[in-house]
Amino acid sequence: MKIKSRESGQVTILDVSGKLMGGTDADVFRDLIHELLEQGKKRIIVNLSEVGWVNSTGVGILITGYTTMRRNKGDLKLLNVSNKIQSILYVTKLNLIFECYDNEEKAIASYS
Amino acid sequence: MGDNITLTFPSSYQWLNMIDLVCGEVTAEMGFSHDALNEISISVIEACTNALEHGNGSDTNLEVRVVFRREPGRLMVEVFDCGKGFDYKNYMNNIPDPSDIQNQRGRGIYIMCQMMDSLSFEKLPDGGMKVALLKKIDDTGGKNSD
Repeated sequence: MKIKSRESGQVTILDVSGKLMGGTDADVFRDLIHELLEQGKKRIIVNLSEVGWVNSTGVGILITGYTTMRRNKGDLKLLNVSNKIQSILYVTKLNLIFECYDNEEKAIASYS
Repeated sequence: MGDNITLTFPSSYQWLNMIDLVCGEVTAEMGFSHDALNEISISVIEACTNALEHGNGSDTNLEVRVVFRREPGRLMVEVFDCGKGFDYKNYMNNIPDPSDIQNQRGRGIYIMCQMMDSLSFEKLPDGGMKVALLKKIDDTGGKNSD
């Protein structure tokens, strides 16, 4: 998994690529979320367009980011979720938790 | 025997991509629908993740073995690890709520149950655990509704 961070106004977009699963991915993502919080960045969009699939461990990583942001009065939303990832979110009912967008402008606008 | 495909890999996440690719090839060749193909692939990856994480403790000296059994009208996938196993009967009666965001983990078995036609566990007499995942092909190539 690789993550590149960019800004659009008050919103931070994390472009994730590769595969989101276990191992060091959890530590990398958690550390990044905490760094963003320390910088006062609490409006997060995770762009998954370059993520082919995640396993349930990877979904857990996203949940950790979401709950951490929510505890700190922030939010974490998903962008460009693949069919496979959508299937996992749907079957686990996490589609009711995560806000998902297929359009970056709309995702950014959702924070205004 | 000739319809079986067996893969063995060290307990490292990097090999899950290989399993995903082979799973895609096998299921497409058998005529599963795109949706069913995704469900099988997701479930097999979950079983392999459990095997390498929980079964083998991510010890790369220990192997995970995956057997694709291509049978008429259905695919059976067996995933073997080298671990001590777990109390799957108790677990299956107390599967955590997958939508509970207080739980970071514990969704893999629930996902497999939902996406496959059957899921079974077996502690092997010589040690290790076997997880068997079954998916039938219906007339549309998707999940059998019975």
